[in-house]
Amino acid sequence: MNAAYLPETLGAAVLLLASAALALYGQPDLDRKWEFLAPELEPRLSERSVYIDPAELLHLMNDDYIHLLIYDVRAESDWNEFHLVDAEHLAMEDLVRERERLRSLPENAVVVVVSNDEILATRAWKRLMAVAKPNAYILEGGLNLWLNIYGVPEEETDSHGRASMGKPDGTLRHSFKLALGERHAAAQPDEHLVPQREYTARVRLLKKLAKAGGCD
Amino acid sequence: MAPFDLVALFGTTGSYLVYVAIGFAFGFILESSGFGDSRLLAAQFYFRELRVLKVMFTAITVAMILIFWSIALGWLDYDEIWVKPTYLWPGIAGGLIMGVGFILGGYCPGTSLVSVATLKLDGAFFLLGIIAGVTLFGETAGLISTFWNSGYLGIFTLPELLHLETGVVVLLVVCLALVMFAGFEWIRQKIYGKAQ
Repeated sequence: MNAAYLPETLGAAVLLLASAALALYGQPDLDRKWEFLAPELEPRLSERSVYIDPAELLHLMNDDYIHLLIYDVRAESDWNEFHLVDAEHLAMEDLVRERERLRSLPENAVVVVVSNDEILATRAWKRLMAVAKPNAYILEGGLNLWLNIYGVPEEETDSHGRASMGKPDGTLRHSFKLALGERHAAAQPDEHLVPQREYTARVRLLKKLAKAGGCD
Repeated sequence: MAPFDLVALFGTTGSYLVYVAIGFAFGFILESSGFGDSRLLAAQFYFRELRVLKVMFTAITVAMILIFWSIALGWLDYDEIWVKPTYLWPGIAGGLIMGVGFILGGYCPGTSLVSVATLKLDGAFFLLGIIAGVTLFGETAGLISTFWNSGYLGIFTLPELLHLETGVVVLLVVCLALVMFAGFEWIRQKIYGKAQ
């Protein structure tokens, strides 16, 4: 080999080897990415700083300044029975498709993940963080607690019975005689009519840094 | 995990010093690669001089490999990197205008700055032209806003276009670069002979 070409050949070989090794190693999937992010984000779960009280969510639903996005990640049958007004039903595996949307959210955006209790919503929150790290929170106690507070069972006994605590974790503990979806009174209770509830406000708006870059 | 908030780490002044250091290194490499000379840059388009292709494409492939290895190892969060969204039609039009300007003027905006650093007159006038063009565009952008926002595809990257794993695309781009280096060198030697 011509000695003059040796550095170029070596450089080309290094680039090829490094890129071939990268192709074999692969890029992290969402689970792996969560492992990378866990040291930074897991404390938020253990300290419960991302779990918001139903009263805080109700306040957000009535705050015109907030760009609120509610992801309901429950099974479709539970969604059909009852869901919050303006919530979006999204299967866990479809959260990754929200990347572009989540990235372009304004700085007054708040994402709240809801499920029947906190189990599925917490998994979805981890996934959302791995997808795009939005300003996301989890409904404390899930829709079961929401319905305990705002479900007005006495007035709606035709369509909404009492909670059954015997049901397993992750299930909707309230039984409905009709699948009312968001037509149920508890889907958007009037903030001023429901009993006032003390809570610690946990939602903080992000101050987005301007992102830009490139070379022209 | 990177990217790091430099202001939080080093304070405002410290972060400015980092920017100066990065800019110095960038300018140093461009100047030492000969990118401050419009004759060398324009010669690329006649296959007489291949340093633009070799330096730029090598930089792109090295940066690409480092970025995606860093992501693979959990050192860098891809979602925190700014990736320009694709506006297809204005992107094509802008690329053509930029290419024609590069051939005619002998500089791209970055290299004209490098040439001004060594007090080259042609670079200085090219830079004045850029400033005038930027000003004119800024004042008239509203007139072409429909076209300017057309062909929006969001953050659309090669793996999504080709439906391939990112690592495979990186490998293909590296292969493309090496094939182009060898192919254009072969063309150059055919046209101008072995001596460069």
